[in-house]
Amino acid sequence: MEEKADVWQGTLALMVLKTLETMGPLHGYGIARRIEQTSGDLLSINYGTLYPALLKLEQEGYIASEWGTSDNNRKAKYYRLTRAGRKQVEKEAREWEQTTAILARFLSPKEESS
Amino acid sequence: MRGLRAWFLRLVGLFNKERRDRELAQEIESHLQMHIEDNLRTGMPPAEARREALIKLGGIEQTKESYRDRRGLPVLEHLIQDLRYALRMLRKNPGFTAVAVGTLALGIGANTAVFTVVNGVLLRPMPFPQPDRLFLVSFTPQHGPFETNPSLADSHYLEFRRADGLFERLASFTGSGANLTGAGDPVRIRTANVTPDFFPVLRVNPAIGRGFLAEEDQPGRDHVVVLSDELWRDRFGADSRVLGKEIKLDGAGHSVIGIMPPGFGFPYDAQAWTPLAVRIDSHNSFSRPVVGRLKPGVSRQEAQEELETLAHQLFLTPAEDRNGLVAQILPLKELLVGNIRGSLVIFAGAVGFVLLIACANVANLLLARASGRQLEMAVRAALGAGRWRLIRQLLTESALVALAGGASGVLLAVWGVPALIALAPAGKIARIEMIRIDGWVLAFTFGISLITGIVFGLAPAFQATRSGLRESLGQAGRTLTGRHEALRCALVLSEIALALVLLAGAGLMLKSFLRLRAVDPGFHPENVMTMTIDLPDSVYNTPAQMRVFHERTLSRLSGLPGVIAAGAVNWRPLGGALIVGTFRIHEDGNPRPPGFMVDKPCVSPGYFRAFGIRFLRGRDFSERDNATAPRVVIVTQSVAERLWPGTDPIGKQISMEDHPKPGDWLTIIGVVDDIKQQGLAKKSDPAIYRPYLQVSQPFFLSHMTFAVRTASDPLSVAPAMRGVLREVDKDQPLQSIDSMQDLIAATTAEPRFQTRLLGVFAILAVALAAVGIYGVLAYSVAQRTHEIGIRMALGAQAADVLWMVFGRTLALVCAGIAIGAAGALGLTRVLSKFLFEVKPSDPATFAAVALLLVFAALAAGLIPARRAAQVDPMVALRYE
Repeated sequence: MEEKADVWQGTLALMVLKTLETMGPLHGYGIARRIEQTSGDLLSINYGTLYPALLKLEQEGYIASEWGTSDNNRKAKYYRLTRAGRKQVEKEAREWEQTTAILARFLSPKEESS
Repeated sequence: MRGLRAWFLRLVGLFNKERRDRELAQEIESHLQMHIEDNLRTGMPPAEARREALIKLGGIEQTKESYRDRRGLPVLEHLIQDLRYALRMLRKNPGFTAVAVGTLALGIGANTAVFTVVNGVLLRPMPFPQPDRLFLVSFTPQHGPFETNPSLADSHYLEFRRADGLFERLASFTGSGANLTGAGDPVRIRTANVTPDFFPVLRVNPAIGRGFLAEEDQPGRDHVVVLSDELWRDRFGADSRVLGKEIKLDGAGHSVIGIMPPGFGFPYDAQAWTPLAVRIDSHNSFSRPVVGRLKPGVSRQEAQEELETLAHQLFLTPAEDRNGLVAQILPLKELLVGNIRGSLVIFAGAVGFVLLIACANVANLLLARASGRQLEMAVRAALGAGRWRLIRQLLTESALVALAGGASGVLLAVWGVPALIALAPAGKIARIEMIRIDGWVLAFTFGISLITGIVFGLAPAFQATRSGLRESLGQAGRTLTGRHEALRCALVLSEIALALVLLAGAGLMLKSFLRLRAVDPGFHPENVMTMTIDLPDSVYNTPAQMRVFHERTLSRLSGLPGVIAAGAVNWRPLGGALIVGTFRIHEDGNPRPPGFMVDKPCVSPGYFRAFGIRFLRGRDFSERDNATAPRVVIVTQSVAERLWPGTDPIGKQISMEDHPKPGDWLTIIGVVDDIKQQGLAKKSDPAIYRPYLQVSQPFFLSHMTFAVRTASDPLSVAPAMRGVLREVDKDQPLQSIDSMQDLIAATTAEPRFQTRLLGVFAILAVALAAVGIYGVLAYSVAQRTHEIGIRMALGAQAADVLWMVFGRTLALVCAGIAIGAAGALGLTRVLSKFLFEVKPSDPATFAAVALLLVFAALAAGLIPARRAAQVDPMVALRYE
């Protein structure tokens, strides 16, 4: 088995939101595939964990869902970003950038010294 | 906001589960199908494609489960599940449920009832705007014989008001009574004299009309009165035209200027308020309560410091007078509840004990049941329930029992609070109108019910879920006893100990009360009817007029059928008043002992016979001992013994004057027995009686109690006595008409109330403890049936088995008594100020209550012991 990172809840939510922002309305399976592809197959998510995460985002009002038809004519539930969701993507992305930038400063000199 | 929205949606998610589940299944199905199609497209065989999709998903059921957890509120759902299950379990065991709920209802009900009273009397605010800013200013003796209510002497009040900078306003007030005439039948009403600032300090204004003007405390302008709403409705038909009209208080005209709002009766349930002028009189200094409203931002502590400073600077009294005077700023409520707090705190403690005993009982019941449910717990654990989940389940059950008990307890309290108030001596519970079951009481009951549920549920819940899975399943059918046994015994021990403490307290109070009731008052109160009248000096303004009233009343009273003797006294025995003073002796050889003061009642001829006071020597007063006759007195035995030990006091002379003139000498003509004047618990006061016909100060004549001794039931002459008063002066209201025995009973009403209430709680405690003992013994006998069977098969007799159970009972009860006695010795000390001639550690009482408890325990052990003795060895051995 190749080494793959686990995804924890907070980051999964952001990935879902970002995916929906770039791809437009998408069903659960599509979102899962897209996240794996985007991560260059470095991430392996249990697809099952995606659904509670989607539900949480929906309850919080960042995404909305409705039933539609897939490319190959299958009934599927499609998720799309709401206005609040768009703002949330921006906000969280900004926070992530800050966090990673700060962490990077901590990590890089440490690597040099060791 | 987002969190709230999500929470709300999750709450919504609890409903319409089926449709949501269907949609979820559809969504997952379409997800799987898409995944499988993709996999097929990459060339997987169909079976492999499906397997891979399922693995990647992480299981359909697991996905659904975690989705559902997110959809609803798992905590709430579990709670609802637990509640449903608990309800089912309780319904399945109606016997257990009834006993547990009933036990708790008694405990919680008693607590709710007492808390209702505590809440109304002590906790609820006074019914004024911002009552927490109202304080009493007091500078009074706190120790010694003259302990008084919070008050300030008039001179101190005036000086303090001048110097103070922390109070917005200050007002002095006092309660009193007056005869109201000119508005229907004459009636005695409760009045208050208040300085004009009184209403503004309280920030309560008359609902109709106005309050007092600043200058209305001046003589000539002070004939105004404000009426209570109650009096206005009763006597004036709620007619607002009464404003400006004149009413007569003690015969003096007062014009009505205002009506207070409904419910206002401060202080002392006053029915009318008149202005009070505070001025300094060189002879007398009145001490009255003083209330003030602190300025915003000023703390009680600052006011206290100010008062202490001013007390040192201003209240320039001779040093010896200042001893024992304490400066205090007290919450206004203290004026009303200061006396009752002690009793209430003790009652609250007592019911707390009752509740603890009830908890121990129910915990024991739960433990017994837990043993029976060991297998159930094991199975549930085997099916995946965590220990915490099981404990939560059991706690839900006990909380449900406790809440049911609490709800029944509130019902009990609804009935119990009026009973409690009815038991209480009239007028002894202040703020009685504030007592009711309100939101605070319900919150309190809900709170203690929940706490109770957790307290008695926790230990059994831990016990029930402690044993390992394998152990329990392996032992299925048999039960674990050893561990539980210790916990159960500990619970019963504490029940017995708590019950003993309560019993000891109640026993001490009972003994004290019996001692008090057995006190000989020095007279015979049976068949004595009394009638008290206050003659207002505005109508009866000379002693001669008063004497005419008394003479006519007395002669008519003695002529009533069924009356054996009639007499009168100005301050009757056990009436809460006495006039104490000094006197001089007409012999230089026998100086009055320093500090020896006597009570100085004025009585009519026939008074001693009417009251049944024993005559020891000499003669009684007669009609001939009048103003023109030689002046005479009768002394009590203690006066005679103290002043003329061993000699006959008849014919000796004394004087009430400090510098007697020749005509001021009074000759002793008789000696009577001492009586209790101040109270049964107080010692007898030496007294020197004077005939009222020879007394000329109106103060000694205006307040008079007439007493008649009757041949039969004293109450039967009451209507005739009222008739006599109407004949003599139809405008004079009765202040009171009571049999002497009722009056004496009233003086012991408070200890009787305390004794009864503590007694009720103690009996409740013993009954609960007995039930607890019974429960433990019955359970242990049932558990040991097998063992007992073997013993009997091996030759033990029924008596041996009987004694085995009784021995265990005795061991339990003795250990409990030992612990309880130690606790009681420490705790009964709080009772010492309520006890009369009984020490808080009275060994006889302790022994008696311990014995009572042993008997109760043995009675509780009787049924289990007999059951044990009747065990049939054959049946018992076949049992397992």
